Amino acid sequence: MSQAIVLGIETSCDETAVGIVRGRKLLANVIASSVQEHARFGGVVPEIASRAHLEAMQPAISQALRDAKISLSDVDAIAVTAGPGLVGALLVGVGAATGLALGLDKPIYAVNHLAAHISVDALTHSEILEPTIALLVSGGHSSLLQVDDITSSIAKLGATMDDAAGEAFDKIARVMKLGFPGGPAIDALAKDGDAESINFPRGLTTSNDWLTRPFDFSFSGLKTAVARYLEATPNYAKANVAASFQEAIVDVLLLKSLAACKASAIDSLVIAGGVGANSRLRALAQERCLKAGIALRIPAPGLCTDNGAMVACLGSLMVAAGRAPSPIAFDADSSLQVATISLH
Amino acid sequence: MTISLAIDTSTSRTCVGIIDNGILVWSGFRDGATAHGPALPALVQEAIKGRAIAEVVVGMGPGPFTGLRIGIAFAHSFAFARSIPVRGICSLDAIAAQVSEKDFIITVDARRKEVYWARYIDGVRKGEPAVCFPKDVSGAEIYSNLYPDLLSMVGLSGNITQPIYLRHPDAVATVDR
Repeated sequence: MSQAIVLGIETSCDETAVGIVRGRKLLANVIASSVQEHARFGGVVPEIASRAHLEAMQPAISQALRDAKISLSDVDAIAVTAGPGLVGALLVGVGAATGLALGLDKPIYAVNHLAAHISVDALTHSEILEPTIALLVSGGHSSLLQVDDITSSIAKLGATMDDAAGEAFDKIARVMKLGFPGGPAIDALAKDGDAESINFPRGLTTSNDWLTRPFDFSFSGLKTAVARYLEATPNYAKANVAASFQEAIVDVLLLKSLAACKASAIDSLVIAGGVGANSRLRALAQERCLKAGIALRIPAPGLCTDNGAMVACLGSLMVAAGRAPSPIAFDADSSLQVATISLH
Repeated sequence: MTISLAIDTSTSRTCVGIIDNGILVWSGFRDGATAHGPALPALVQEAIKGRAIAEVVVGMGPGPFTGLRIGIAFAHSFAFARSIPVRGICSLDAIAAQVSEKDFIITVDARRKEVYWARYIDGVRKGEPAVCFPKDVSGAEIYSNLYPDLLSMVGLSGNITQPIYLRHPDAVATVDR
């Protein structure tokens, strides 16, 4: 089964996503997003997301099969995000995935959303970097991880103490009236700004922080600093604020990622999650990793944000590694820890 | 001869049954208002052993949303995988089917101190299901502690394609805050 066809389902937040891989080749990656339905609420509304998942699920599965040019009976295994995420949203995926697995009489892999984000690099590169440091940054998560084996061993080095990086983007975008989601809006606006025009704080980077919590993040102080600056500066230059705010986040993410590489003597870094689509993060990561002699992997922007291909990919890697499938009866876990790569 | 798989997750009880030519040949349930996720596949795995299922009948609510959606998502995927039809029924109708009164009301827990309900006269539902406080439901004898009757599910018309939510999502637009 080294070239198993795996269908992956992802519904942890507002994307109803179905991906299909054969071994490590991407065959389909269908994403139906309810993000526009959430925009007027300034954030994802769980019940709206869950309703949208149920409506979009069967069309997304059918579309993925058409894109992959296979029939459902060709599928060797089902993979599904079991957590972390919004529990009502996750359970739509769990219901659909267990229905497929029992209907087809095929194994199911209930996998971790965060591990899936990191694993997706395997679809683009033949050589998987292991061990590696992984920076996982999205609207719901910001953590630094050491990945010894993506199918069996991930250890958390640090995480955010308050907001996730993507959440900080959303909140600042809201204050600046740039709409939701904030990441793409700030990224675009920052291109016309001067990133050094305002010196916003870098959270948890005092000498004491480097001793006590070197790999943790904090973005709430930055958020407050930006809000104060906006209040105190009536005619502020939007592009400069966006660029300087973005620089403060990107800078600290990379400072800590490279420090983690150095501390663990691992010379590779994988950046995954929705914030990995940020153009400044991608550019500065290239620059600093090149200088430090660290091999860098960042999935294509479309594979950084939530998608089903990453779930299928992790499922496929589990199959190839001979890992046992999950029992058919399992529960979604909204706060599943990254060390639990799959449920069994 | 048709073998039907009947599923309902609209109440705190996950119900699964196999109806073979008008006879309930297998049934099982698990209680737990938040247990539908693991309970449903465990029950179905047992239920379908050695059986060629020809259709799926699923309760479309009304009922607490998260559990309800698990049953519907599962039913559609299972039916798709087997290339068999899926029919959606009103879960209150499946509960009412076991009551033989001339005029009665079925209520089920809708959380937030409310109930989903419908009235049945001569075995026929009067109007659409609704949601309100228990004190506002009256006019006939009320049955409130029943679960869907699996055997009856296959006899219902089964033309409901959308979940019966009866409530809008709670959310306030940022402009209205």
